[in-house]
Amino acid sequence: MSSAAGPDPSEAPEERRFLRSSEELSLAQMLQASSLVQRRKQAWGRQSWLDVPSHSVPSTAEAAALERELLEDYRFGRQQLVELCGHASAVAVTKAFPLPALSRKQRTVLVVCGPEQNGAVGLVCARHLRVFEYEPTIFYPTRSLDLLHRDLTTQCEKMDIPFLSYLPTEVQLINEAYGLVVDAVMGPGVEPREVGGPCTRALATLKLLSIPLVSLDIPSGWDAETGSDSEDGLRPDVLVSLAAPKRCAGRFSGRHHFVAGRFVPDDVLRKFALRLPGYTGTDCVAAL
Amino acid sequence: MSSAAGPDPSEAPEERRFLSTAEAAALERELLEDYRFGRQQLVELCGHASAVAVTKAFPLPALSRKQRTVLVVCGPEQNGAVGLVCARHLRVFEYEPTIFYPTRSLDLLHRDLTTQCEKMDIPFLSYLPTEVQLINEAYGLVVDAVMGPGVEPREVGGPCTRALATLKLLSIPLVSLDIPSGWDAETGSDSEDGLRPDVLVSLAAPKRCAGRFSGRHHFVAGRFVPDDVLRKFALRLPGYTGTDCVAAL
Repeated sequence: MSSAAGPDPSEAPEERRFLRSSEELSLAQMLQASSLVQRRKQAWGRQSWLDVPSHSVPSTAEAAALERELLEDYRFGRQQLVELCGHASAVAVTKAFPLPALSRKQRTVLVVCGPEQNGAVGLVCARHLRVFEYEPTIFYPTRSLDLLHRDLTTQCEKMDIPFLSYLPTEVQLINEAYGLVVDAVMGPGVEPREVGGPCTRALATLKLLSIPLVSLDIPSGWDAETGSDSEDGLRPDVLVSLAAPKRCAGRFSGRHHFVAGRFVPDDVLRKFALRLPGYTGTDCVAAL
Repeated sequence: MSSAAGPDPSEAPEERRFLSTAEAAALERELLEDYRFGRQQLVELCGHASAVAVTKAFPLPALSRKQRTVLVVCGPEQNGAVGLVCARHLRVFEYEPTIFYPTRSLDLLHRDLTTQCEKMDIPFLSYLPTEVQLINEAYGLVVDAVMGPGVEPREVGGPCTRALATLKLLSIPLVSLDIPSGWDAETGSDSEDGLRPDVLVSLAAPKRCAGRFSGRHHFVAGRFVPDDVLRKFALRLPGYTGTDCVAAL
């Protein structure tokens, strides 16, 4: 994998899809020089601008910088962002696995949550799945002590969403009990050792899953940059990229790839030179 | 009018459709204290759903460029916070919102929501014309997010009060969030003389004064309210379809 030094010569500058961190600032300055009128014109012309099939994928550092921008400059709250991502993830599940087509057993969803932000998004996703009349069950073995996670957990408990105290290591038991699994264990930048033994063991079991698997943001355990371990790691059927797809999404080969990023302001997309497909109507997710 | 003590005897217990002001406050307390929803979360859910309701009542493809311009009038309390979130989602949905938010709350949630709107280039008016024709000409519709149930008119300040006086004369469509600002939340009195919105978006559940609403569309934005809470308040509301966060009543 090349280092983050300069632009990749194989990418024409006006179609760049990857930002190296050293260039971020000057590109941002150029983009922010455009006037309000110009921005509005671009917004109106958005449909054709986004018809270009290539989509851009930020590095892990850029994804973190994008999130910092939303939290610090735009003053979004973490509770807000996690709610928006979790809700959109649940909507993506309904698009990939529409309820009317599912039998009673197929509506049962196992949501596996890690202790970090990806797990918080999973908790919100589970709650919205319950509202959408799926039957979620949560496995959240390594609990974060932070207030947001605790409150999201309470919301799920009060809505009678069961929490498993352990996950069977025999994958056939999972295949038989649930219609699909949502992987909300690890987001980009989370080291496997940070999530604890039970999550690690759960991921080992999920690698052998034969029912559909939906991964939130990145398939847990994949390297967010390279997608290495994508041969040996989880092989989700559905990927729901949060805010924007991560680099490893290039190696995703499942059935559906959604981006849940409608809440990201246009100016932030432009700052990171991201070009993403348009959303239709009031949809919060778009199929890529 | 009966006090807010018990259920309206004309409504069978399993068919209640409205909440009194006291019950609405109790429902919110239950969500915040027992269910541990955050205020930021609830306001986001309500504001997003309000914007979706606007798109259902006034679908974008049917609107001309001018008709997509939306004036969102926000008061200093929670109703105003919901309005700020609604404006942001309207911008995401490609409407062109402008905000009039003259009496600013100092609390952090309001300040952050304001920053989000400012950073998204949503214009904030420094004053609202008293001549209603100027509003009719500049905008396609107005969203009233000035006062929720239980807010006294004197709490919202002069500019909001004057804005409401102007909005009473509006000829373009008006969408009120939760209750028409200025109506008594229980009785709907002042509904003769007060705002006459075309669209009402009830948040969580309809308030008693919604019985006097006579506009075109009434939506409830309450999908996030857990079933057990609805049962506790003996509310029976229409179902939501698919992943919709609002339902037409």
